[in-house]
Amino acid sequence: MSAVLVRAEALKKTYGTGALAVSVLRGISLEVEAGSLVLLMGPSGSGKTTLVSILAGLLRPTAGRIELCGRDISALSEAQVAAVRRHHLGFVFQTYNLFPALSALENISEVLKMKGFAPREARRRAQDALARVGLGDRLSHRPGELSGGQKQRVAIARALAGDPALIFGDEVTAALDTSTALRVMDLLRAQVTPERAILIVTHDRRLEKYADRVIHIEDGRVVSTTEVAQQPGGLEAQP
Amino acid sequence: MRRIALLSLAYDRGKLVASVAGVAFAATLLVAQIGLYFGFLESSSTLIRNAGGQLWVMARGTAVVDNGEALSAGSRSIVASHPCVTRVRGLVMSFLPLRKPDGSLEAVQVIGFEPGGEPLMPWSLARGLPHDLSGPGRVAVDALDLEKLQIGPEPLGAKLNIGTEEVQVAAITSGIRSFTLAPYVFAEIGDARRIAHLGTDQAHYWLVDLARPECRDEVVATVRAHGDLDIHDRATFQRMTEDYWVAGSGAGTAIGFSALLGLVVGAVIVGQTLYAVTKEHLRELATLKALGATPGEVISFVTWQAAVLAFVGGGLGFLFAYVLSGSTAAIGLVIVLSPLVLFISASAVLGMCAIAALWSIRAVLTVEAAEVFK
Repeated sequence: MSAVLVRAEALKKTYGTGALAVSVLRGISLEVEAGSLVLLMGPSGSGKTTLVSILAGLLRPTAGRIELCGRDISALSEAQVAAVRRHHLGFVFQTYNLFPALSALENISEVLKMKGFAPREARRRAQDALARVGLGDRLSHRPGELSGGQKQRVAIARALAGDPALIFGDEVTAALDTSTALRVMDLLRAQVTPERAILIVTHDRRLEKYADRVIHIEDGRVVSTTEVAQQPGGLEAQP
Repeated sequence: MRRIALLSLAYDRGKLVASVAGVAFAATLLVAQIGLYFGFLESSSTLIRNAGGQLWVMARGTAVVDNGEALSAGSRSIVASHPCVTRVRGLVMSFLPLRKPDGSLEAVQVIGFEPGGEPLMPWSLARGLPHDLSGPGRVAVDALDLEKLQIGPEPLGAKLNIGTEEVQVAAITSGIRSFTLAPYVFAEIGDARRIAHLGTDQAHYWLVDLARPECRDEVVATVRAHGDLDIHDRATFQRMTEDYWVAGSGAGTAIGFSALLGLVVGAVIVGQTLYAVTKEHLRELATLKALGATPGEVISFVTWQAAVLAFVGGGLGFLFAYVLSGSTAAIGLVIVLSPLVLFISASAVLGMCAIAALWSIRAVLTVEAAEVFK
């Protein structure tokens, strides 16, 4: 049985108070197990960005409980939650969020140094991660010298380099053309291991075929959860 | 984090140049104001610092070197008779009118000194030698005052009418300007007494050298036993004079206010610069926070940038101030760039950058890590 990396129970989030209060999440419970790729889908304003922010420990819920990588982060201080993110999570964003002044290699190695890796080890891991995403020949290129797909692959390499248990992705294909988007998803799918899970927020229905489970939310509630059977041997084996 | 901060700062060359220029301008302003303040202090007490004498004897109630009263010849004997006193030199300082070639009057300060021995008087000669002032009616004026005194293109040999006496320029001093702006006219003490209508052996100050510093208190007590005399060590009298002119006249307050204004303007310039650089990277900083960066780590992003701007911009500012001080010296405005001035200025520039960095630090601390998903 796979370990549960995210366990959310009855999450609620309300912005504002009194007559101006807006309930964004209205009691969401879900689990993400290691070895799975989960898509979180829903229309704009459904609360998926708030949900992923809370699940990643970036935002506090108004009510409910979250267990992240075996730790109840609802009971932790900001610094302790930051430490959990530092050691167990990776992030891939819609707009990449890379430092424009740093090379691809430095964008990864500097983050690894921040996470506590020694400079030499950080550099080695950054080189390995870039090689794994097919950018071994773009180490010294800055983001401005890379295409959108290449930038997203650098972002994925950054997320992977620290060997996190859980990767959160936010509309990772939204800024990419179809073929690049599918290549990026192939790459992300390949990073799912028995110890690792990936949770992606998206509008893009083309991505459903990469998922093990698709969670649909609307108006701050889970409206459906669909299990998707992946073919043994990966997507290449699917018709 | 240091590398991220520095590379981010250097990434946009245009903005970096503008930022460094902003800090350099602020630093120049600060160094110039602080140097000017010390220049005022220096010029107000230049005579005391350069005339020597461990102790200065003066009329009781004298608060500033420029307002000395004539002392009697007997007072010299009182001082000189003490066994610990090795030398007593007279110094005359008298404001007198000088009639210029066009007939107008200009107040000058006639400084009479006893020739021979150390230190040399006047202490900075551009033309002529100290012994050129030997002989009746020979004076030295400063190169900066030649135009003011309407002395022609060949000043040596020019005639001046001071009070009722006619004298001749025999030497030119360099960079010796009075705080009162009344030009200094140096003459040997005999001539100065004659010009100032003092009696033989009279002076405004007796400059005393001691055999041993330990007997200072004895000599002071001996002099102060005479009700019409006072005595101070040179450093004290220097401080009294500086306080009188710089603090008492309001000039110090004005300069201090200008320096403070420079600090505020500098802090605003540097603050805006740093804030602009930081604001451009808020999304990346939010990303680092999301990835687990501590508040200390995101603060260090701003701190490194502030430190680099302070050192590079500050260094350039000091260089500009050095060039500026050379230019202003030519017009008699002294900007002192001593180690003390540089230390104070460097501290002020660092403080200015630290204050300026606070805005940016607040910005990076308040940025929400959750911004990365928006």
